[in-house]
Amino acid sequence: MALIYPIGGGKGGVGKSFVTANLGVLLANQGYSVAIVDLDLGGSNLHTFFGLNKSKNGINRFLNQDCKTLEETAEPTAVNNLFIINSFNSQLGISNLFSAQKLKIINAIQKLPFDFVLLDLGAGTNYNTIDFFLSSDKGMFVCIPEPTSIENTFRFINAVYLRKLQHLLKQRAFNAIVLELSNGSKNAVIKAYDIVHSVIRENPQKGEKLKSQLDKLEFKFVINQFRKSVDKTIGFKIEKTCNRHFYSRFQFLGNISYDERVHNSVVARTVYMEKYAYTLTAIDLLNIAKKLTGVEQSTVRVTEDCYETV
Amino acid sequence: MKQFNQFNYYEILDIPITSTLFEIRNAYQNAVSTYSEDSLITYSFFSEDEREEILKTIDHAFYTLIDENKKAEYDEMLQKKEGIDVDSIQASRKKKPIAIFDRSKSINVNTFVEKVRTKIDDDQIKEISNTILSKETISGNDIKELREKIGIELEEIFEIERISVSILKSIEGDQVDQLPSPIYLKNFLKSYAEVLHLDSKVLVDGYLKNIRQVEQGKQRHRKHADGRVRLHRG
Repeated sequence: MALIYPIGGGKGGVGKSFVTANLGVLLANQGYSVAIVDLDLGGSNLHTFFGLNKSKNGINRFLNQDCKTLEETAEPTAVNNLFIINSFNSQLGISNLFSAQKLKIINAIQKLPFDFVLLDLGAGTNYNTIDFFLSSDKGMFVCIPEPTSIENTFRFINAVYLRKLQHLLKQRAFNAIVLELSNGSKNAVIKAYDIVHSVIRENPQKGEKLKSQLDKLEFKFVINQFRKSVDKTIGFKIEKTCNRHFYSRFQFLGNISYDERVHNSVVARTVYMEKYAYTLTAIDLLNIAKKLTGVEQSTVRVTEDCYETV
Repeated sequence: MKQFNQFNYYEILDIPITSTLFEIRNAYQNAVSTYSEDSLITYSFFSEDEREEILKTIDHAFYTLIDENKKAEYDEMLQKKEGIDVDSIQASRKKKPIAIFDRSKSINVNTFVEKVRTKIDDDQIKEISNTILSKETISGNDIKELREKIGIELEEIFEIERISVSILKSIEGDQVDQLPSPIYLKNFLKSYAEVLHLDSKVLVDGYLKNIRQVEQGKQRHRKHADGRVRLHRG
């Protein structure tokens, strides 16, 4: 079965599609068969990275039953082993999917016969995005070291958590807890962990079960557009903080250096990785791809762990 | 969010129990930078009250662990509450200076000398050493026999007299061409004789005579061989 990595991250313009396209190329270069799926419905961009603007194929053909399987809509790219599932020529209103259509897509994605499936998600935290993200128990965030992005990343994680809890708890129980927590006031902001705590308090056994379910979620994240002036350990600090305060596992995959030439590659409608394979940014991406496949488990880490006694 | 108050102070600062003051201070700075209001990481993560609570806990953790008395008190409390044997962890993980060489392996000179003395007082050994000393020439093999009877290893002689094992071996094997120059050889023999409680003068004279004999024997042998070669040619 394919390893599915939804790539999301709350804020727009942080490089989700850029990371998806380039990781796709790198994984394919490692010899895996890879499919990248553009699930930024209504805001599709992924095809542009490969200069494929004339394609008639796409996810819409699967939705209107021209194609029986989602696999048939996958198109080869210039890169060996790399396939793309477009969504740019879909009908009007694709961004507001019906629930049944959404489920159909999710089910189809889980059956795709590739080694890796990377899902390029849209910005924001609407149910489509979140549900696509939860189609796998793994996931990846892209953020940039700016307050707006990090804030939205946490918002995204929170939304994913709430949605997951909604799936895990029965709808009525979920609503009851929300009602109880909001205590009648309409302005109450309910956070995902409040609900977990409430369940643990009311029913410890159920709480443990919930915790073990949440523990199965594996989130990885990268920091894109990393400039020299930024604290190098910030990724590890975020990893530590998240691991401490959420009940799931977080892994920081690495920084991706900022490069002006990313813009050039987008303008030229080619994949950065193909055009500038020997730049710092490309090496960063390569290291991340290696970490993802487990080829290289440990790189030199700049963390506080260095101080730990041996 | 996991509740912050369920962590102990070490977990809050994310340091091992054995941390030094320097590490504790470092960890505190890190924690504050992570949880402070203008932290890029968590500024949107907590509400005002939560942050205040967390920073207070971090402060408390720091001021407890940085103070020796308070730390000891806290460790004891931790020991009772969570059953962590803080003392043993600390004892086993405390950094110690690394020994340059392992002293326990090198032998104690005094006990060694004692051991040799009691052995040499033994009648049988006395007899052997007397017969050796009464000989006109003393071969390396004689010395070796005596040494083995007493039960001393070459390495032990090296530890005490610092004569390298290879030299000791060549002395005992009468390997003339491997021996050091005569001045050194005499001193080495003297030291060796002292270890074995032999009369050093007698031993040195006897051994040097032996060496001369061996050398002569070799030369004769060589001449003999040369002669044979000449004969062959003729």
